[in-house]
Amino acid sequence: MADPTSDFFAWIEDHGPEVLPDKARGTIRFDLDAGEGRVNHWFVAINRGNVLVSHENREADCVVSTEQRLFDHFALGESHVVTAYNRNDVTVQGNLPLLLMFRRAFPSPPGTRDPRERVRERFVGRRARR
Amino acid sequence: MTGAGKSSGTGMVSILDGNTFMVSDARGDVDPSPDFPAGLFAWDTRFLSKWVLTVDGERLNALSVDDLQYFESRFFLVPGEPTHYVDAKTSVIRHRSLGGRFEERLTVLNHRDEPTSLTLRMEIGCDFADLFDAREARPRPGQTVRMVEDGRLRFCHQRNRHVAETIVTSTEPVDIDESGLTFRIELGAHGTWTTTLYAVGIIRGAGGRDVRESVRGYTEVRPEKRQELAEWLARAPQLVCDSEALQRTYRRSMIDLAALQYTGLTSQVRLTAAGLPWYMTLFGRHSMLTGFQTLPFVPEIARQTLWTMALLQGGRVDDFRDEEPGKILHEIRYGEPGGFEEQPRTTYYGAADSTPLFVILLDEYEQWTGDADTVRQFEFEARAALTWLDTYADLMGDGYVWYECRAPGGLENQGWKDSWDAISYRDGRLPGHPRATCELQGYAYDAKVRAARLARTFWNDPAFADQLLREAEVLKDRFNRDFWIEDGEYYALALDGEGGQVDAVASNMGHLLWSGIVPEHRAPLVAARLLGDELFSGWGVRTLARGQQRYNPVGYHSGAVWPSDNSLITMGLRRYGFEEEAARISLTMIEASRYFDGRLPEAFAGYDRSLTRYPVQYPGACSPFATSAGTPLALLRTLLGLLPHEGHLTIVPAVPEELGRIELIGIPGRWGRIDAFGHGRLRMGRR
Repeated sequence: MADPTSDFFAWIEDHGPEVLPDKARGTIRFDLDAGEGRVNHWFVAINRGNVLVSHENREADCVVSTEQRLFDHFALGESHVVTAYNRNDVTVQGNLPLLLMFRRAFPSPPGTRDPRERVRERFVGRRARR
Repeated sequence: MTGAGKSSGTGMVSILDGNTFMVSDARGDVDPSPDFPAGLFAWDTRFLSKWVLTVDGERLNALSVDDLQYFESRFFLVPGEPTHYVDAKTSVIRHRSLGGRFEERLTVLNHRDEPTSLTLRMEIGCDFADLFDAREARPRPGQTVRMVEDGRLRFCHQRNRHVAETIVTSTEPVDIDESGLTFRIELGAHGTWTTTLYAVGIIRGAGGRDVRESVRGYTEVRPEKRQELAEWLARAPQLVCDSEALQRTYRRSMIDLAALQYTGLTSQVRLTAAGLPWYMTLFGRHSMLTGFQTLPFVPEIARQTLWTMALLQGGRVDDFRDEEPGKILHEIRYGEPGGFEEQPRTTYYGAADSTPLFVILLDEYEQWTGDADTVRQFEFEARAALTWLDTYADLMGDGYVWYECRAPGGLENQGWKDSWDAISYRDGRLPGHPRATCELQGYAYDAKVRAARLARTFWNDPAFADQLLREAEVLKDRFNRDFWIEDGEYYALALDGEGGQVDAVASNMGHLLWSGIVPEHRAPLVAARLLGDELFSGWGVRTLARGQQRYNPVGYHSGAVWPSDNSLITMGLRRYGFEEEAARISLTMIEASRYFDGRLPEAFAGYDRSLTRYPVQYPGACSPFATSAGTPLALLRTLLGLLPHEGHLTIVPAVPEELGRIELIGIPGRWGRIDAFGHGRLRMGRR
């Protein structure tokens, strides 16, 4: 069964330094409520953009709590973590700036195209030569 | 005078503290108004929409209003219509302040020789409207309840898990009902009675805790605020000058800049709100330009802005927010509609200028402060910004910075002139999309030249530095070929999607001087345009020149005069050695400030000075407005010719006779503190 959250964390372990600034250092724990009293923990250690992920339920600089279902949407790019924070569907304790840096790791919404392609398609053969 | 002030256009009185503000009429009352967002606002949400005081059922009338500090004001009132008040038997003083919570001390004075009984009533309402809905009194989705609780009146608005509350309490015993507070008071002969009302706005997080509570500064109290303001003013350079107008606008601006500081998002950093009432939040462009303008005075504004912009830099392509990797933020909104994705403003990236401005500010910041650590710390973000310029910004693949809105309800124009009709041809037509306005290319050029210095000096990457300089030169050459209008001898406002020149004459070309993309031989032509009758109103450079089809002296970006625009233009003029032209605009701006009690508004009308004799208010202009408050500071920099150069501060004053002597004592920077002196020697000659 597809597990967007696991896929997302696996991806960021491989690509951390590409998308996270060098100064991103610290730990974030995501507590994802899966219902029926079950909470999935993802412990993310970030060091100079490098990311290591485990399931430890350890103390972290920043603790992010939300529903597993909603986090799956973040992992797929379908929802936005800051927006969800604003409507109180995500709660953050501790180092919020670290989460805002980590925000860069989340993917584009599904089906997003490069805006340059869309624009250039419209102008094929129509540009004035200067 | 340090008060927040009366808006002479609307008769409204406002006090503010960062992104919290209270706007009422001259009586201190808040009634729903279609023209102006009245009420108590914080985080883009209205926490009080009705706040009306009566005595024995009668509304009050204002004898006078004192603006004490920007965060407090005092109203002297009497019951009844104005004709009655010569014989008032009762008077009321409302003394209100902001500092985390809203506080209003009500004092009732009995002027009779005998005791009296009065009924004092405060009518209270709360609609939790988003700032943008406040004018229309549009109800929010979700549920609002009023609760009379032990000693307090509570309004609670809930939408899913989002909970906002207003809690009103009184220090004196009071009868509370669902729409207000009633005091039945007995006053002796010449007696006095006092109570203090508190209103607290709360946005609840998990477990009912206020999510903003952990944010430092939320519960600041007044004595600290006074202290903070005194320290802020003491840290800034002291201005000693002959011109009373300059003295006044300098002090006013420093206070307004203090007033607009707020702690948001995270407690680690103070942000600068852009303008009251519509932009009491973070805007990338305005914060960064304010940071640039204020570097010789309060460099912490630039540092904190860089930190915040870096933190919120775009990470992904997101059409809903006009976001792309490396792009710097346009705007943050805290209100509920953003959270529910009714509009993209929670974090919105619809600006094409903020990204090069980030690089420009980073370099300028280091030149003043010598803070190399910050430049190293933001290498990742600066490189991402530069990459954005060469990739996502270059929509047409021709090396220019373009923009086209993708966000629903986003901005059609994404340069500083971001209203829908700001970019037009001379004949009034609007160009197709995408668009590449000229000043964006100037910023991109400047960003590359400056980044080359950073790469060489701090990032240990001389190859990248060489590459950036080559790219900058190529851009400059091509720009001067493609944007220059030969038969008119000026720069096109923009290129349209077909590559054609958008030929309106506009102030944007002044920014090109600021950026250095204009070759020496063309600079005199640009300067002459800027100071010519079509663009220069006699008070400042208009956004759009008279004679263009869309020119309108009260057109927001199509004829009005913007102080911030002019501040960049004066810096550009000086960069190219046009001392007299820079001094002239600086002088007329300072003269204009006299008509606004020293507080330059967001914009004022572009009528000819000879026609109106005074600068006409722009209806609905924000005031205070951060980059307008930054303008007198930038003008001082221009007049004194302050330029950080290889670790030193060079001072080459060019002051008009009319301003006399100017001394700026204690300019902070990598040199410690330095004083600058200038004497009015330039003869302006009447135009």
